[in-house]
Amino acid sequence: MQKIESKGINFYYGETQALHNVSLSMKENSVTALIGPSGCGKSTYLRLLNRMNDLIDNTKMTGSILIDGQDIYEKNTNVDDLRKNVGMVFQKPNPFPKSIFENVAYGLKVNGITDKKTIEERVITSIEQVALWGEVKDKLKKSAFELSGGQQQRLCIARALAIQPSILLMDEPTSALDPISTSKIEELIYELKKQYTIVIVTHNMQQAGRVSDTTAFFYMGELIEYDKTKTIFTKPSQKQTEDYITGRFG
Amino acid sequence: MALHIETELGKLKNIIIKIGDLAENQVAEAVKVLLSEPVTEGKEVKKTENKIDKLDVKIDEICQSIFALHQPVASDLRFIMSAMQISNEIERIGDLAISIIKKSKNIKDKHDLIVKFSIADIAKQVESITIKTNECFLTRNESTIGEIFILNNRIKNECDEAIHNIINEMKSNSKTVVSGTNLVIVLKHLERISEHCTNIAEYVYFMINAKIIKHEKFGSTKFED
Repeated sequence: MQKIESKGINFYYGETQALHNVSLSMKENSVTALIGPSGCGKSTYLRLLNRMNDLIDNTKMTGSILIDGQDIYEKNTNVDDLRKNVGMVFQKPNPFPKSIFENVAYGLKVNGITDKKTIEERVITSIEQVALWGEVKDKLKKSAFELSGGQQQRLCIARALAIQPSILLMDEPTSALDPISTSKIEELIYELKKQYTIVIVTHNMQQAGRVSDTTAFFYMGELIEYDKTKTIFTKPSQKQTEDYITGRFG
Repeated sequence: MALHIETELGKLKNIIIKIGDLAENQVAEAVKVLLSEPVTEGKEVKKTENKIDKLDVKIDEICQSIFALHQPVASDLRFIMSAMQISNEIERIGDLAISIIKKSKNIKDKHDLIVKFSIADIAKQVESITIKTNECFLTRNESTIGEIFILNNRIKNECDEAIHNIINEMKSNSKTVVSGTNLVIVLKHLERISEHCTNIAEYVYFMINAKIIKHEKFGSTKFED
């Protein structure tokens, strides 16, 4: 069974159709990169996976998205539970104006976990998972804003991991980071896929090549090609894909 | 407006065409020296060899720069990978041509031996395969690739047969040993040139189809003679 299975997705912002009949399946513990020019629908598709687009007025979706075989757009779906299972990391690091510790603990507390020991264990585990522990263990009570951009982004990933999701969505997670921080996040993605299914939107072709197992190329709301990343970057079957990845688009 | 990488790839293509032409001339000169009596000097050959060596280095530099600055993928990547290999093969073809010229000078009664063992026919086929190889890089025509594989098989078989006959001649007439040995070396060089041409055709095939076919047996493929 596929971890994520979307079938015949059409999505509309008002009258504008942003996605056209997109069907895409992703295996458990894999990294899928979504690539394509700006406005192609890749971020729209990503946000459908944890129903973030529900927050936007005047939008409509048809088709179905199944996670672990369950349709997440069914009427009885608990969206809070869905978002606990499908964590998200955004383009710009967005820590809360709280301490490093509290940033990671926040999600746990919001979700009703009160036991201090459990919270502490989870916070430490999550910070260790993102390879940040060595850098912050002595300043957990300091403001998260004191961290560098790369550290803040890893902290945000730790915050997402603390609530123990099984899927992690990443929307251009390194676009605001320097090459060293980018490299750390990419190493992290490689490590995290052992436990999580990861979907990443990226404009960086080399990054898609480095971190993902499969790559989906979107153009004008359509899924043009979806294949193993190695195939996409060595022998894409569609001319549009070849033109895009070789920089000859448009 | 042409992309920067396209300019670099165009430059690379032109240099490969140039180095291929030079190697073709070297082989033509080697064949001329081999078949002519008395032996010609082949002065131009040394100059051309230097040009080939310089272009070979230039190709490596351009490829390195494209890898570092443009991170090529898909067809661009295949072209650059092939370009590096092709230039290596061409450089070796040039070296073998020089070696043929040198060895040809040490063959006594060359004309008689060449006629007796049908060397001219083999040499002309090797000249032809180098021309076809340059053509196949330029046109990326798959049927030319097939012709190269077929021609290579024929050259290999004819070389084997000629070498076998020369060895028999040397066994029966010890006076022919020195010339015969040099002629065997020349035949081996001709055979190697043909194989380098086949390798180039394989890289062109990879460029077109993204399929690596080196080390495959062609006797059972669509290119069978």
